[in-house]
Amino acid sequence: MNVAPSTTVPTVTHAPVDISSLAEKVGIRNLNFFYGESKALKSINLTLYRGKVTAFIGPSGCGKSTLLRILNRMYDLYPGQRAEGEVLFDGDNILDPRQDINLLRSRIGMVFQKPTPFPMSIYENIAFGVRLYDKLSKADLDNRVEMSLRRAAIWDEVKDKLNANGLSLSGGQQQRLCIARTVAVRPEVILFDEPCSALDPISTAKIEELIDELKADYTIAIVTHNMQQAARVSDFTAFMYLGELIEFDTTSKMFTSPSDSRTQDYITGRFG
Amino acid sequence: MADKALYSSRKRRNGIATVLSYGSAGLGVGVLFLVLAVLLWKGFSGLSVAVFTEMTPPPGSAGGLLNAIVGSLIMTILAVVFGTPIGILAGTYMAEYGRHDRLTSVVRFINDILLSAPSIVIGLFIYEIMVVRMGHFSGIAGAIALAVIVVPVVVRTTEDMLLLVPNPLREAASALGMPRAYVIRHVAYRAAKAGIVTGVLLAVARISGETAPLLFTALNNQFWSTSLNGPLASLPVVIYQFALSPYADWQNLAWTGALIITFAVLTLSIAARALTSQKGN
Repeated sequence: MNVAPSTTVPTVTHAPVDISSLAEKVGIRNLNFFYGESKALKSINLTLYRGKVTAFIGPSGCGKSTLLRILNRMYDLYPGQRAEGEVLFDGDNILDPRQDINLLRSRIGMVFQKPTPFPMSIYENIAFGVRLYDKLSKADLDNRVEMSLRRAAIWDEVKDKLNANGLSLSGGQQQRLCIARTVAVRPEVILFDEPCSALDPISTAKIEELIDELKADYTIAIVTHNMQQAARVSDFTAFMYLGELIEFDTTSKMFTSPSDSRTQDYITGRFG
Repeated sequence: MADKALYSSRKRRNGIATVLSYGSAGLGVGVLFLVLAVLLWKGFSGLSVAVFTEMTPPPGSAGGLLNAIVGSLIMTILAVVFGTPIGILAGTYMAEYGRHDRLTSVVRFINDILLSAPSIVIGLFIYEIMVVRMGHFSGIAGAIALAVIVVPVVVRTTEDMLLLVPNPLREAASALGMPRAYVIRHVAYRAAKAGIVTGVLLAVARISGETAPLLFTALNNQFWSTSLNGPLASLPVVIYQFALSPYADWQNLAWTGALIITFAVLTLSIAARALTSQKGN
């Protein structure tokens, strides 16, 4: 194929960040991950800073989703997958077998690639998760549902049909419903696994705007295939390739003067 | 240019295949309608209040099918009550907890054998382990024989329907911090509900016409009885006996009984269909 490589570098929206003033929320130390015998992640070291958005980029199969799914131990649902090393969440190693996984997941929420509303009403989609960990009065619960839906910028669209099935919404609305559901449980970290890859550009813009607002209260990690998206929403970017973390830095540095030539090549679209 | 001979031979073969398909479909549906028509023709004239209020008569006198209808209802309901929980729990284990276990493959294999086992074998089995030991025929033995038929149907549909629930939905529920049992009960079951209920209804349809397993277990009873500890009448067995008898009034009652069973099963099937199609909305 002789297609001339595009060399446009996506524009970074966020100002450079001063790392010294930031606190570590999640610290990944020397992390290895295995699918059965095959090693999918090789000694990853990475920090998610409190109140910041970190994007994981890299070609398909590089391990970025795998890395994300370790942070809430989603891989535990499947036999034969295991992680070695440390993932410190406020200093506690979440890979410790004694870790209460359900409690952990209530503190580290996740939004998936495809919208996954539960087969129940819009109201129940939100209230369901809340009831697991909070015993609220009807009024408080109503309030929490409304706040969460407002937070996810979908309240105005659904306030008159809270009893309608969550599946009756459009794809973009479903995804915002899923974000509302995640926010409602009041996690500290939210993991986004390619949250816009199934959405149209308008819905994508809404979700990106939302992520920007959410980082005031939450620490956010986002996996994305879309370089522009990484440049637009994130403060930090981690570039992964073949299971290794090639480079991790502030997004402004990564997109303007990366240290590794592979990062440069990937960001400018020369491979991947 | 296109090869005209090749094209016309394709067209010809297409025509033949189309005619054969329509013909087979027509034959299948035609036979079904013929069965229903004969059933209606022969059975409808016998339908009366007496059928639902009087006991099976001795030859030559008037009567109805009340004891058989009630006996069938009792045994069918009990079979579903016994068989459904076992079936749903086993199916849940196979689809949710033990999806990758060897035990699941073994259970699935045995379940498939059970699913296609001739029902008379199941009747003989219950005869050996219950009727022989108790020393007499009983309604409870009949109900358990039917339950053994219900279990594999429900196991199969429950597993299949739960496997259709997309994994991302389970992950999404788990990601909220929901314990596994909670995810299964409130998310997976809810998503698969229509399918699982359909499975149970299909099992009911299947057992409500079974005669063979009841012949060796519940036997039959000419009189009113709701005791599970003694022989119990049932529609299929009454039809079997009356249809083979030389008496015209018994034969007519058999036709009426067949009509009642058919319509009960038809109603259930339609209900099952309605439930499944609702899932799409």
